[in-house]
Amino acid sequence: MSELIQIGAARPKAPQPQDLTLRWSERAVEELEALKGHYPDLKSLILPALWISQREYGGHLPPEGIAEVAARLQRTYAEIEGVATFYSMYNTAHAPGRHMIEVCTCLSCHMCGAYRLADILEEKLGVKMGETTEDGVFTLHEVECLDACDRAPVIQVGPDYLDPQATLQDEGGEAKMRAWVDRLIDDLRSRPEPSSVRLADTVVQVHVRATER
Amino acid sequence: MAEYKLLLEHADDPAYRTLAGYQAKGGYQALRKAVGMDRQAVIDEVKKSGLRGRGGAGFPTWIKWNGIEKEKTAPHYILCNADEGEPGTFKDKQIMETVPFLMVEGMTIAGWATQGDHGYVYIRAEFCDAAKAVRQAIDEAYAAGLLGKDILGTGWDFDLDIHLGAGSYECGEESALMSSLMGERGMPRLKFPHAPLPTVAGLWDRPTVINNVETYACAPFIVERGGDWYATLGASTKNSRGTKIFSVSGHLNRPGNYEIEFGTTLGELIDLAGGVKGGALKACVPGGSSVQILRGDGLRDAVIGYEEMWEAGSMVGSGGCMVLNEHTCIVSFIWRTAQFYAMESCGKCTPCREGTKWMLQIMERIVRGNGQPGDMDLLMEITKQIDGRSFCGLGDAAAWPVAAALKVFPEEFEYFIKHGRSMIDTPQARALAPRWAQTVGV
Ligand SMILES: Cc1cc2nc3c(=O)[nH]c(=O)nc-3n(C[C@H](O)[C@H](O)[C@H](O)COP(=O)(O)O)c2cc1C
Ligand code: SF4
Ligand code: FES
Repeated sequence: MSELIQIGAARPKAPQPQDLTLRWSERAVEELEALKGHYPDLKSLILPALWISQREYGGHLPPEGIAEVAARLQRTYAEIEGVATFYSMYNTAHAPGRHMIEVCTCLSCHMCGAYRLADILEEKLGVKMGETTEDGVFTLHEVECLDACDRAPVIQVGPDYLDPQATLQDEGGEAKMRAWVDRLIDDLRSRPEPSSVRLADTVVQVHVRATER
Repeated sequence: MAEYKLLLEHADDPAYRTLAGYQAKGGYQALRKAVGMDRQAVIDEVKKSGLRGRGGAGFPTWIKWNGIEKEKTAPHYILCNADEGEPGTFKDKQIMETVPFLMVEGMTIAGWATQGDHGYVYIRAEFCDAAKAVRQAIDEAYAAGLLGKDILGTGWDFDLDIHLGAGSYECGEESALMSSLMGERGMPRLKFPHAPLPTVAGLWDRPTVINNVETYACAPFIVERGGDWYATLGASTKNSRGTKIFSVSGHLNRPGNYEIEFGTTLGELIDLAGGVKGGALKACVPGGSSVQILRGDGLRDAVIGYEEMWEAGSMVGSGGCMVLNEHTCIVSFIWRTAQFYAMESCGKCTPCREGTKWMLQIMERIVRGNGQPGDMDLLMEITKQIDGRSFCGLGDAAAWPVAAALKVFPEEFEYFIKHGRSMIDTPQARALAPRWAQTVGV
């Protein structure tokens, strides 16, 4: 079955509370404080707090990142882990490479050549979907509809949607995709900031009102 | 019929994304008018307009607004479903990116009409650009006193916040969305008649209005120009009023969002998007991945309206119109649809959790060339076991497209199972197949 469906993957062990060192920056703590005023029940902070933690832990959520959310919201590790693992955008299974390239292969993208684009990316990087390049720079992932089907086939890197502006139905469409992938990879290589950190930061910032900054 | 740009009239004008630009084009006239009206009068205008929910189900909006208690006993919440996740749909994204104030003003009007205290826009986390545009709009509205304390001198306070998801289609289902906003796994809750409606006990068990982005964005026009005026749009249809934004994608020359009046035909919509690319029209899924596929012959004349579309064999849904040309293997398309639902099933109830995986397994063996003689009957049987037996609408939505395709394109399934390869044997069709499936075409 598809790479997308993984059943029963083992979860890493939770750290013992006495072994946990809180690592969030001062800014992160302030952001969480600001958001407290948005909800009548602090449980609603779990999703935004996980986003903050994902940013603070470098773009993924190791057990420590989950435990820190639990500690700061005074909830159990099991509850927070249960919530975090439900959502596909929390990287709880493994740390992605510096740039996670998420390729939409859903309906409209499939119809416009997403699997060919995925092949081209796999060839270019020498890894398969779900894998990270040896140098740790790129992770490839297949995702479901990004709801930008007018740009099909489309990919997401961090907070950005990108597309080759060519479909397999176009004259020379495949060649255009190849050239675009070459440019994309060169461009991403030159960007030092991990894209999943950029994404998490954008998500967090969007929650905060101007008057709370 | 041509495009009818009501919501998207100023979508190309960057100034419209700022409060000054929005107000210069008449923005916030509707809220000013609304706060001068009796709350019930606002709801009555929405009733007259005939507005139905744009999130997929087409439920009359006024009934929700009217269902909120009039003698206030608790905080009231206004919730916007901006979790757009339906494959083929990308209209809410454009509304938020290009005309965000319409949604913000619409939510504020809903807040006024129902004595709301706090609103939340639940946006899928992938939509960073949309979320940023909404953030900016909300911040500007706060600064101008159009949100927050004592709005327009009425003494009424209304807060509006953004809450982002974290990657889950199921969170678009309204009760799952509320679970998610309350800090839980995005799983749905028991629904009416087994539990109270959200208008009685929604977010934190308080009265809650939940509507789609596009639904709220219609409200300013209804209040400002009157429900009667709005109801003249789409008057040729049985019971669909106003405009609807269709996201048109697939094999088209100009894919994109097109706003049309109800009563337009599917053929006209396809023409607006520049017509079919790369071959003749083969099929169309008019309302997002959850709705039934229509055969190319005859679909051009199908009228876009909730009832009309149903008579044509499909649904308006969320307006995600996917157009397929002659080089499309329907079996492959349905295999990918099945994968989507298997992936996104939340796992709470057995018919959907197991049924979607079974459908995918069978579809997968068919597209790998190993289909078994009874597979079509087996698939149809599974769709019947899921449809109507699932805890929420996702299960039904997973069953419908498969059941419809088996009925509408049986020959393609039969061929694939019998010959172990796709009936659509053209280089264009082969090029679309995943590498592991190229030997069989898909
Ligand atoms: C699986 C599933 C996913 C849904 N996704 C969305 C969505 O992304 N956006 C949306 O507005 N409605 C979605 N809905 C419909 C909502 O449950 C609800 O009907 C809608 O938000 C009500 O708003 P409306 O009356 O304005 O349409 C979904 C329903 C189901 C069953
Ligand atoms: S129908 Fe599917 S998505 Fe809905 S509750 Fe059941 S398992 Fe979850
Ligand atoms: S199918 Fe890829 S963005 Fe919708």
